[in-house]
Amino acid sequence: MPDFLDFKGKKIFVTGAAGGMGQAVSALLAAHGAHLILLDRNKEQLDVTRIGLEGSDHTSYVCDLGQIDAIEGLMSQITKEQGAVDGLVHCAGIANVRPLKLSKYSYMVDVMNVNYFSFVEIVRCITKRKAFNPGLSIVGICSIGAFYGAPTKTAYSSSKAAMYAAVKCMAVELAEKGVRANVVAPGSTRTGMMEQAEEYSAGTDSYKQKLSRQYLGICEPEDIANSIAFLLSDKARMITGACLTVDGGKMST
Amino acid sequence: MTNEEKLHLLEDVFELDENTLTPEMVLADIEEYDSMSKLSLIVMIDDECHKKLTGEQLKEFETIQDILDFMG
Ligand SMILES: NC(=O)c1ccc[n+]([C@@H]2O[C@H](COP(=O)([O-])OP(=O)(O)OC[C@H]3O[C@@H](n4cnc5c(N)ncnc54)[C@H](O)[C@@H]3O)[C@@H](O)[C@H]2O)c1
Repeated sequence: MPDFLDFKGKKIFVTGAAGGMGQAVSALLAAHGAHLILLDRNKEQLDVTRIGLEGSDHTSYVCDLGQIDAIEGLMSQITKEQGAVDGLVHCAGIANVRPLKLSKYSYMVDVMNVNYFSFVEIVRCITKRKAFNPGLSIVGICSIGAFYGAPTKTAYSSSKAAMYAAVKCMAVELAEKGVRANVVAPGSTRTGMMEQAEEYSAGTDSYKQKLSRQYLGICEPEDIANSIAFLLSDKARMITGACLTVDGGKMST
Repeated sequence: MTNEEKLHLLEDVFELDENTLTPEMVLADIEEYDSMSKLSLIVMIDDECHKKLTGEQLKEFETIQDILDFMG
């Protein structure tokens, strides 16, 4: 029986590949035959991801995606060196929390740059002629935070809501090129980002209450990776402009 | 930064009137020292003093003087 997820001969570009979800999705895709192009600002962890992958022809690029002006040059370098790609997964993101009174414009822009503008800029470059193969599938990692209010998360939640809105527009605009664009919206997932969030909130009533509403428990990075892989695959060929929540049921109440 | 400047920053973080904080004040007695102002404190110290205040260090603070000392 053929592999349900077959990525043999496919080139997939993964940003934030040094992080928890980036690493998990890279490992899954490589195990199903994909050639990975990895990107992160953290070189050390990026090497750990690359070395741990099945197969040997994976490549990696170190880049700070907060520097939006540098993305176009990097993307044309990647196209030149790697050829056209079949998939993009944007996992790079920061989850800073800040009370509104300290969320000045410069802070808001920093968060928007990494979580949102870098995504739009990469999609803009990757959907140019010769940069992608027919059937390109784009998956942005959003967050269920895009859908409900929470204190201290104005920047983060807005950046994720913006990503989802952008993906819906991209889905419509790029459909004629045969390109699909979707988001996966994880709930709390066991990665470095969750550890960072727990540094100040672990043990507080509001945090316990928040987690108790993930009825199936805390997500593992592999749970998110499975959904990303599905959306990248041909099995999702009629899915575009969609948001797949992977949150143990949290958004159902 | 002088102690006076630091106290003003703290008054701002806790949303208190100017000149209401003194170094010997005990944090547990300050009503405004709640979870939101603790988070604001972490951010302010990062912005103004370029220092990362961990959750553990935060728990050890007992008086305003402890915060002033940490701010350096
Ligand atoms: N972990 C969760 O609970 C959770 C929940 C909802 C959404 N998300 C989203 O999932 C995505 C992946 O997060 P994760 O949980 O794997 O976190 P993570 O912190 O383990 O990974 C994020 C990765 O992004 C990279 N990155 C950050 N800023 C960058 C920049 N300027 N340039 C290049 N790379 C940069 C980091 O180096 C890191 O490797 C993020 O977009 C996050 O917002 C996470």
